[in-house]
Amino acid sequence: MSDLQTPEGGTPLAGPDPVYLQDPVLDATVRMVVELAAQVWVERERRITLETVLESRGLLTREQLEAFKPTSAQAAALKEERNRFIEDVFKELRRIPVRQS
Amino acid sequence: MSSQPETMPALAQRADASYLDFVEGFREYILGKGADFEDRLNEELLAEERRRGKKWQELEEIRAHVHGLPLGRLRDRLARTQQEMKWHTLKRSFEAQRQSLTSQLAHWDTRGPGRLELDRQFVYPPYVNVHFHLQPAGYYKDELSGYLYHYGTKVFFRGDNDHDELHAKLVARVPAPADGRVERILDLACSIGQSSTAFKRRFPSAEVTGVDYSTPMLRVAHRRAAMLGDDVTFAQRLVEDTGYANGHFDITFAFIVFHELPLRIIHETVCEAARVTRKGGIFAIYDFIGTRDKSPFQRYHRWFDARHNGEPYSQDFCDCNLENILAKNGFKVAAAPVGQRSGGAGYMSNWFATRE
Repeated sequence: MSDLQTPEGGTPLAGPDPVYLQDPVLDATVRMVVELAAQVWVERERRITLETVLESRGLLTREQLEAFKPTSAQAAALKEERNRFIEDVFKELRRIPVRQS
Repeated sequence: MSSQPETMPALAQRADASYLDFVEGFREYILGKGADFEDRLNEELLAEERRRGKKWQELEEIRAHVHGLPLGRLRDRLARTQQEMKWHTLKRSFEAQRQSLTSQLAHWDTRGPGRLELDRQFVYPPYVNVHFHLQPAGYYKDELSGYLYHYGTKVFFRGDNDHDELHAKLVARVPAPADGRVERILDLACSIGQSSTAFKRRFPSAEVTGVDYSTPMLRVAHRRAAMLGDDVTFAQRLVEDTGYANGHFDITFAFIVFHELPLRIIHETVCEAARVTRKGGIFAIYDFIGTRDKSPFQRYHRWFDARHNGEPYSQDFCDCNLENILAKNGFKVAAAPVGQRSGGAGYMSNWFATRE
């Protein structure tokens, strides 16, 4: 994809789908992994929400689920869980050496 | 928890909120200590300096070295990906409720407190035709651009500004003029008006005006301020040609504005700020630190952000000498670096300039 140049100059902008990893397949694979992680998180968040609602109210409706607002403590616990999840999936990043031996 | 009305636009469904919450956490992870890209790559750049026995000079040398590292390329891939994920989901979520969101804007356009002054004859200058930060349709081409910006920057600031905390903190830091007189305040390129309302709260008796070129941003700014009960005027004007009288303002403020302006407009904007700020008044700026103060990795990141995150003018801004431009236009300048945070505040600085 060709560069985009503003009428006032500046740094040329990359096109809509730049390749960073020298192989578009690899770029796509990374994007898919991250997307998969996001989707897994969405599902996990939903389940946690569902469980919380069920536990606290003893019943479930779609409206209740959509309207659920965590307390400060619940939100903090959710954030902690989110960070743990991210660490589980992406800790491999730290294993990549800065330089190839 | 704040008791203020929620001005952040609601998302179409719960799943959108949790998806964006993931993006926010992932962004923190790859920019901060989680993946620890920045410190590790910067250490490698410094080690390479030692191996070569000379400091990095040209940006091209740094770029070539980072691109030769698998870790550097992967970091770039992930940095770009998280931005694309954010905008994709935000756009879809707001698109699903376009009608109700535009109705909300129309509802508030003519209600106070505060006033919305749109210029029906306004012509957008060519330099603003950029999709800054990859935001779909940029800052002004979609009626919902202001809403996209509001939620998009919430994710960008990684939890530091969910309820405008960053704006309140930066506004609190701005020194009042030495004579203590603060009757009129100008917020340049105010976007959705978070600094403008923070100024109104700090100086309740002052007349606060936010100017911006973008109709969608100004409409969201007015809606937000009115919902909060803050009496602020939002006007559609260019930062380099505001049209206000000479010496009209006691404080002029520019929050992360200059790096989104071409060098020519940076000079014109400082000149305009000098014209509208009264003698003894303050021109306060918060923006990226200059190239000379950057670590080797920060120099690389500036280029990456410029090219791959829709910030085409930012490199020229960082390369220019803002202190000299301010001094040349009659300002006495004090610059104050902001505390470190990977990928965030460590890249930022305050300039507090007094009009002489």
